[in-house]
Amino acid sequence: MVTVRSESNLKNATMNHDPFAWGRPDDNVYGKYNQSIAQAKNNELDAFPKMHTQQPIITGTSVLGIKYKNGIIMAADNIGSYGSLLRFSNIERIIKVGSETVVGVSGDISDFQQLERILEELVISEENYDNQGENNLRAPHVHEYLTRVLYNRRNKMNPLWNSIIVGGFDNDKTPFLKYIDLLGVTYGSSTLATGFGSYLAIPLLRKLIPDDKDYSNIEEEDAKKVIQECMRVLFYRDARSGEKFTLVTVNDEGVKFEKDVEVTGQSWEFAKNLVGYGSKQL
Amino acid sequence: MSSIGTGYDLSNSVFSPDGRNFQVEYAMKAVENGGTSIGIKCKDGIVLACEKIINSKLLVPGKNKRIQTIDNHIGVVYSGLLPDGRHFVNRGRDEAQSFKSIYKNSIPVPYLMDRLGIYVQNYTCYNSVRPFGIVSIVGGIDENGPHLYMIEPSGSYWGYSGAATGKGRQTAKSELEKLDFENLTVAEAVKIAGKIINQAHEDNKDKDYELEISWCSYDTKGKHEFIPDDLLQEVLKLSQEDDDEDDEMES
Amino acid sequence: MFRNNYDNDSVTYSPTGRLFQVEYALEAIKQGSAAVGLASKTHVVLVGLKRNAEELGSYQKKLIKIDDHMGVALAGLAPDARVLSNFLRKQAMNSKMVFNRPLSVSKAVYSIADKAQQNTQSYGSRPYGVGLLVSGYDDTGAHLYEFQPSGSVLEYYGASIGARSQAARTYLERNLEKIRDCETPEELIVHGLNALRDTLSQDVELTFKNTSVSIVGKDTKFTTYDDEDVQQWLDKLDSVTNSTHRDEDDDEEAGDNAEDQDVTEDRMETDE
Repeated sequence: MVTVRSESNLKNATMNHDPFAWGRPDDNVYGKYNQSIAQAKNNELDAFPKMHTQQPIITGTSVLGIKYKNGIIMAADNIGSYGSLLRFSNIERIIKVGSETVVGVSGDISDFQQLERILEELVISEENYDNQGENNLRAPHVHEYLTRVLYNRRNKMNPLWNSIIVGGFDNDKTPFLKYIDLLGVTYGSSTLATGFGSYLAIPLLRKLIPDDKDYSNIEEEDAKKVIQECMRVLFYRDARSGEKFTLVTVNDEGVKFEKDVEVTGQSWEFAKNLVGYGSKQL
Repeated sequence: MSSIGTGYDLSNSVFSPDGRNFQVEYAMKAVENGGTSIGIKCKDGIVLACEKIINSKLLVPGKNKRIQTIDNHIGVVYSGLLPDGRHFVNRGRDEAQSFKSIYKNSIPVPYLMDRLGIYVQNYTCYNSVRPFGIVSIVGGIDENGPHLYMIEPSGSYWGYSGAATGKGRQTAKSELEKLDFENLTVAEAVKIAGKIINQAHEDNKDKDYELEISWCSYDTKGKHEFIPDDLLQEVLKLSQEDDDEDDEMES
Repeated sequence: MFRNNYDNDSVTYSPTGRLFQVEYALEAIKQGSAAVGLASKTHVVLVGLKRNAEELGSYQKKLIKIDDHMGVALAGLAPDARVLSNFLRKQAMNSKMVFNRPLSVSKAVYSIADKAQQNTQSYGSRPYGVGLLVSGYDDTGAHLYEFQPSGSVLEYYGASIGARSQAARTYLERNLEKIRDCETPEELIVHGLNALRDTLSQDVELTFKNTSVSIVGKDTKFTTYDDEDVQQWLDKLDSVTNSTHRDEDDDEEAGDNAEDQDVTEDRMETDE
């Protein structure tokens, strides 16, 4: 349609004066409004009833946990990856919950931050509201609570994309260490690891504690040493891992955070023997 | 009370011809017979205290706490219908949590009071509910320093340096007025609070009472908590020493 | 004007700040038969006097188990007690489900306290017409709470509710130290039955049919004893009739107790 516009025509005809479409572009001038653009329909997505998280975005890699005779040790590095991009290098993924429990989280960082909020709310309501010394929030309670949160989210097909290790003390004051993942699956062991660590670290940890109950013979130093070793191996092989990590010890003296611990004793001697990857060709 | 029997005091949310809401005033009466509660605002924090009358020797000492916590940094004490007080505190907790879930920061005390004021006022507006039978003293620390408020069944609230409610409020108020709030510290205020509660209790001496004191200061890292047991014992001893002196002077 | 205009609903204060409907609900407790609770350092015992509506009818239950570590005794409207105890059971199950731990006794009682408070502040529902004694054992030891329809809960070493319960309270106060120092659950049960016995009217005695006993505590799950199982405890008593009636010629005793019975203070909960 070709319209000849005079000055006055432009002024008057561009706006729709119909009371039900007041102020909208005049159909006579611009043609009928395309509704589908306004509603930003995406037919591919609309084919699903609803779409929730399909993948993690910023991620943290392995968390390691080990029991020893007086408590537990947990470690996680400080990297937040965006795919293969090292996006953040200052993320603390182990948090203290209540007075004697720690929670280490790998997987999606924004979901981890949501968990942080949920746990803070839990601590306030459990430890501050009318507390008369009872109800100390212990590791098994935090663990059960997180399991319910993750399992419920999975049943809504909207999971929190994480693997979690909860460490602290059981009701009988013995060391407590259990794992939860985005499906709501949970298990406990004297040695635990999430993500890549479950392939690379678990065998090394189990070399120290072959049988689950043997943790009671393990000294803190030996446990620490094997965690250090695991972090080194992970740094060698896990491309999403970092060189600095946080090491947390929970024992009868309380919870101790050691930050910016470095992977020690590195030797890249083996690298020269690696061929077939990257630029070096056979 | 000339109004009794005129019918304007039988339902909440009804004005009398001279513009009063009697049910709110009656709610206030429920408060006036309750155990004394006080709050003191100091330069470094706030102190809350209350007199807990012991009605039976079968009650477990040190339990059945009257001072409650709304959020880490905010405490409440109230006089009147105690179950109403729990209702009030539960609402405060909901407000604090909802604020945190939106803004991540802890709720500022003035904002909390604003929200609670609206909530309590709502219970004066409809004949399907009754006003809260409590006066609450709310204290806490936020990024702007210490705050102390007192809120009434009508929903109105004011900021205070020293607040008192319940049976012994008159005595307590006149004692509070003597204080130099600008220079007072919580450490001094807990001892004063113990004395004031003890003095306010004098009229009702036939029944024993238990003292409850909490604080929220920079020393407690902004946390609202009960004062340590040994300090409470010390405060209790101090407040009763004065008692003996007074007796001697009288005789 | 003789009629009390301020007692038609629970949303109207009297000019003195009282809530008559709530106070009347407290009276409903006194219509029920007595229940007594008492706590040693490790155990809590509840005992109750059961009533039957008629000779051929069964006796109304006085004790309700909530969980392995908790149970209640009731006085007043039994259907209301069932509503509250079902609520408590749900709370207890939820605690196991979400936290993997038994519900703490204080949390339990405060949950029903807050529920009861709602009914005292809104039109269209009545306050609950039942008093509960809640016994339980948790991380912090043995606890006994008294719950009232006003929404008040208080923790006691010994408490009693229901008809003529003042007599039991008197017994508990007089024997408080002995009760607190009870080494064995058996002693505690005997004290409980002694207190319950003091609430009996002249023509009634404790029998295995009208007496219920429960205990909970350290290494002891909540257990109730009814019917034939109660006899073992009754056998430990020196008598199953009210001592005040028995020793009627003992002036001091009788006078003392009569005085106690006069104390029918209204206990609408303010904190005074």
